[in-house]
Amino acid sequence: MFLVWLRVAAVLYGLASVSAFAAVLGDHPRFRRICLPLAGLAWFSHLVSTAERLVLAHRWMPVGMHEVQSMLALLISSVFLVIAFRYRTLSFGVFALPLALLLVIVPALGPDKYTFASPMIRSGWLFLHIAALLMAYAALIFSLIASSLYLLQERRLKNKHSPGFLNWLPPLDTMDQIAQKTLILGFHGMTIGLLAGSLIAQESVGAAYFADPKVLLSFVMWGLYVAMLFVRRSTGLRGRRAVYLSSVVFLVMLSVWAANLLSTVHRFSAP
Amino acid sequence: MKILLTGLNHKTAPVELRERLAISSDRLAEETRALVSHPGIREGMILSTCNRVELLVCYEGSDPALADYLNRQYAVDPASLQPHLYEHHEVEAVRHLFRVASSLDSMVVGEPQILGQVKESYSAARSVGAVGGNLDRLLQAAFSAAKKVRSETQIGASSVSIASVAVDLARKIFGSLEGKRVLLVGAGKMSELAARHLMQQGAGSLLISNRTHERAVRLAQKFQGHVIRFDDLYARGDEADILITSTGSPEFMFRTQHAQQFLHRRRNRPMIFIDIAVPRDIDPEINRLEGIFLYDIDDLQSVASAHLSDRSREAERAEAILEQEVARYQQRLQALDVVPTLVDLQSYAEGVRQAELRRAQSRLQSLTADQLAAVEAVTRGLVNKFLHHPLQALKTAAREGDAAAVDAIRTAFQLNESREAFEAIHSAMPQRPETARAPERAAEEEND
Repeated sequence: MFLVWLRVAAVLYGLASVSAFAAVLGDHPRFRRICLPLAGLAWFSHLVSTAERLVLAHRWMPVGMHEVQSMLALLISSVFLVIAFRYRTLSFGVFALPLALLLVIVPALGPDKYTFASPMIRSGWLFLHIAALLMAYAALIFSLIASSLYLLQERRLKNKHSPGFLNWLPPLDTMDQIAQKTLILGFHGMTIGLLAGSLIAQESVGAAYFADPKVLLSFVMWGLYVAMLFVRRSTGLRGRRAVYLSSVVFLVMLSVWAANLLSTVHRFSAP
Repeated sequence: MKILLTGLNHKTAPVELRERLAISSDRLAEETRALVSHPGIREGMILSTCNRVELLVCYEGSDPALADYLNRQYAVDPASLQPHLYEHHEVEAVRHLFRVASSLDSMVVGEPQILGQVKESYSAARSVGAVGGNLDRLLQAAFSAAKKVRSETQIGASSVSIASVAVDLARKIFGSLEGKRVLLVGAGKMSELAARHLMQQGAGSLLISNRTHERAVRLAQKFQGHVIRFDDLYARGDEADILITSTGSPEFMFRTQHAQQFLHRRRNRPMIFIDIAVPRDIDPEINRLEGIFLYDIDDLQSVASAHLSDRSREAERAEAILEQEVARYQQRLQALDVVPTLVDLQSYAEGVRQAELRRAQSRLQSLTADQLAAVEAVTRGLVNKFLHHPLQALKTAAREGDAAAVDAIRTAFQLNESREAFEAIHSAMPQRPETARAPERAAEEEND
């Protein structure tokens, strides 16, 4: 049944993406009215699907690539909805909703073949570790989108050419606030996630865990994150340099994700 | 007398060129005097605003080559000036002036300031005796056309003034004006309009700085704003989120280093600079700085023109009204052209009546005073009745621009000969201005 819910969510994400494009880029008020309800319904179906899957499996945490992807999509659509309600802008839907759709397509096709059965997956700490880190990823994606849109809007306002297709861009200040707040949210997520991960590692593997490339990279990313937050907040960094900074952190984040392949101890899904 | 209007505006010339030709209001009268001393020019007026510099002249004889005059007067290279100049003759000049006065040619269509600026130019020209009957008639017609457009269309009501363009920009940058500080540098009329609009739109507070401190204080009292001393401008400029300048300073007041200081003190929070002065107050280079958004008067045009479509229906109605007004003005001009014929015809008929009365004088001697008055009335009535149709025909011919009909009437009544005789007699007599105007006035009464 959870697959049905997920498929419904995928279809609704698709429809919400289309309406977001029409509402934001085409400036059609009718689509503006239906975009949020569609995205809300998609989010609800997605939530029900995720809850049902986890309840059925008697665990808290997503296991396997499909579930993690689905969880990330759920977090992204949650952040989008919060931004849409808080800042009254649908602009982020143009990126967030198709991204959520892309992330849920594969999980919606069928259950993951490769899972693993470890007693650890029932641990609340592990759930916290994964959920907090996924939240950090989602937040950083939004921060990067917001910074890029900021740059785009800044260029547009500076060049004074006002091509109509960019009219939908939200005000600079809104994007700045979103970029800052999602960055802070991501920071909290990352700190909590890494702390929880470290605790688990201390318990199970011991100090050797910290020599792992994946783990090391994670801490480098955290360090960079702190540096970026500090620079942004102390100098009020905006525009081009802010985008560069966010991009660097984002790239490191992707490499941390990819480092799963190199890691020897942080491998759970391998058969 | 022919009419010529030449000049450049925001559509044809960049602000760099316009600011070189711009004439400040205190030099306007003097420049107008120089203009009418140009050979061939009888009457003249100069309109110089931040968006246009235009010369309007009435001349006799050959074209007075105003482009040469501009080149010489302002020492501008002819090659750089020529591509930006436009010239309108006769009815085209009338139409252009009407459009300008009605704010249809403005950067921000429907803005109310331009009519006042045209009136200012007109009174400056009057003060140096550069306005004669022709220009006077033309300007009065332009003023009434502008009034009509304003009262019969919504063009003014929905006008996007520079202030509202600024408001839109501020919304794109800050999201809303709430809590934002606006600093006016220069306390002119434009600034006042901008201030009023920004405050109405919810701007947090107003700071005013002006070279003449008292003026800044007056404006501040009006809007419950605060005054920044002109000397403290660079030290406190960063307090403003939106800075609007409209001073008469011939040099840049804000340069890159000032903007850098502001940004540093604001910890890179964005700042909008709006420069509505010509010559400009702000170095365009500062727009290169991240977080600084500079809009000068030309940039505002592109934003304003985006709003144009909203008002296009009103603008169309306004254009239609103006076409009628131009046609009416032309009719009046042509009607004035038949004035000599009207006058000649009336004086010819009156001459014939008087001659016939004189001839019959001996036979009328036995009549009583009452009977004589009756004869007088009957002959006058006869003449008027007889003249009614030719006069009507003349007026119709004037309205329709039918010169042949006017000629036919002149030939039929042999008015050309009598006119020449009249002028020969008149030129032998000393001129009296009142009587010179009299036929015209008579014709106008006839017209009404």
